[in-house]
Amino acid sequence: MNCPKLKSWLEERYDWEGMKRFAKRKLVPEHRYDLWYYTGGITLFLFILQFLTGMLLAFYYVPHIDFAHKSIIEIVTKQNLGWFFRSFHHWGSELCIAFLFIHLFGTLLLKSYRKPREFLWATGFILLGVSIFFGLSGYLLLWDERALAAVRVATGGAGNFPFIGGFIKAFLRGSIDVTGDTLTRFYAFHVAILPIITLLLVGLHLLLMQYHGMSVPLSLEKEKRREIPFFPNFFYKDLMVWLVVLGVLATLAVLLPPEIGAKADPLAPPPENVKPEWYFLFLLETLKLFPGAILGLNGETIAILMVSCAILFFFLIPFFDQRSARGEKSPLFTWIGVIYLLYFLTMTVVGYLS
Amino acid sequence: MRRIGVVKGLKRFSLFRFAQPMVMALFVMIQPAPSPAADRIAVFPTTPFDAYIIYESLAVLWLAIIGLIVIIRMKLREIERIQEMGIDKEDKDAPLLQ
Repeated sequence: MNCPKLKSWLEERYDWEGMKRFAKRKLVPEHRYDLWYYTGGITLFLFILQFLTGMLLAFYYVPHIDFAHKSIIEIVTKQNLGWFFRSFHHWGSELCIAFLFIHLFGTLLLKSYRKPREFLWATGFILLGVSIFFGLSGYLLLWDERALAAVRVATGGAGNFPFIGGFIKAFLRGSIDVTGDTLTRFYAFHVAILPIITLLLVGLHLLLMQYHGMSVPLSLEKEKRREIPFFPNFFYKDLMVWLVVLGVLATLAVLLPPEIGAKADPLAPPPENVKPEWYFLFLLETLKLFPGAILGLNGETIAILMVSCAILFFFLIPFFDQRSARGEKSPLFTWIGVIYLLYFLTMTVVGYLS
Repeated sequence: MRRIGVVKGLKRFSLFRFAQPMVMALFVMIQPAPSPAADRIAVFPTTPFDAYIIYESLAVLWLAIIGLIVIIRMKLREIERIQEMGIDKEDKDAPLLQ
C-alpha cells in the first residue's frame, strides 16, 4: 500500500524516514538457538490477545457475588460468540503463562540474563509473577465452587508466610474468608491494577531489549554469524509464528471450551479432588511433601519459606552467576537451571496425575 | 471457483455446491443426541447445525492462515533475494530529475 499524501503528512510532523531507518538498522543474530527469540514475541502477541478478549468479556461481566456466575453463563449461552471469546481468553491465559515459562527457562539455560541484561531478566521474572496473579484473579471471577476452593487454598497458603502472611491474606481476601469482597478486590486487580503493571513492565522489558539488543549464547559469541534486519526479515518470521499461534488458540477454544461449575457457596464444603491451575501444581505438591509440624513449628510455614527462598534465589541468579558475567562458561548454573526445570516439570506432572 | 464440466450440457456444475450440503447432512447425522444432563452448563452450541458451522469456520481459518503464511514466505524470499543482490539500499548519489 502506497499513500504518498499520508507519508508526507507524517514526514512533516515526525521523522518517519528516520524511524524506518532505525527499524531496518536493528539487527537480529541468526544461529542454531535463534528459535528461542520467538518465544518472547509469542508471549507479547498472547498478551495483546488477552487484553482484547478481556475487554470484550468486561462489557457483559457483573462483578457481584449474586450475579457474577450468572453473567458468565449469559455470556456463554446468550451473547453472540460469547462462548468462543470466553474460551479464547481462558486458553490464551494458559498459553501465555506456558510461553512465559518457556521463555524464562530458555533465557536461564542460554544464560541470556548475564551482564548487562540483569534488569531485563528482572522485569521478565516479575512479569511472570504478575501473569500468575492475573491467572488466579481471573479464575475467581468465574465464581464457581472450584474457583472458590482454589482461591481459598492459594490465599490461605500466602497467609502461612511468617510475619507478613496475615497481612497478605487479609489484603487479598478483603475479609476473613473468600467472600464477595474478595471477588470485588480480585476484579479490581484483574481489570485495572494488573493490566497497568503489565503494560509498564512490558514497555520497560521492550525498551531494555531495544537498548541491549538480542543476546547471543556464550558458546556462540566468538563464532562468526549472520545477522538479519529486524524489519522486515525477522518481523515477517514473527508474523508467521503468530499466525500459527492464533490458529492453535482458536482450535483449542473451539475443541476444548472450559466448563463452568456450580455457583460458589462459601458455606458449602469444598468439592472433592479440587486442583488448582497447572502452574500452581508444583507448589501444591511441594507443600504436600512437608509434614504438619517440624521441630514444633508449622510445617506449611517452613515449606512456604523454603519455596520463597528458592524463588528468590532463582530471581537473583544473574547477580550470583559471576562467571557468565565475565563471559566464561558456568556449568554450575546450567545444572541449577536444569534441576529447577526438572523439578518444575516433575512436580507439575505428579500433581496432574495424582 | 473452478467449474468441472462432467457432461457437455452441465458446464456450470460445481462439485463444491453439492459437497457442502452432503458433508453437512452427514455431520448432522453422526452428531450424538444432546444429553439431558440438567446440571451441566452448555459451554458450546448444542445444535448440530451450529456445531457444523463452527467447525467449518475453524477449517476456513486454518486455510486462511496457511494462505497468509505462504504469501508472507514468498514476500520474505523476495526481500532476501533483493538483499543478497545488494539493491535494497537507497542510492545517495542518484541524480534527481528536476
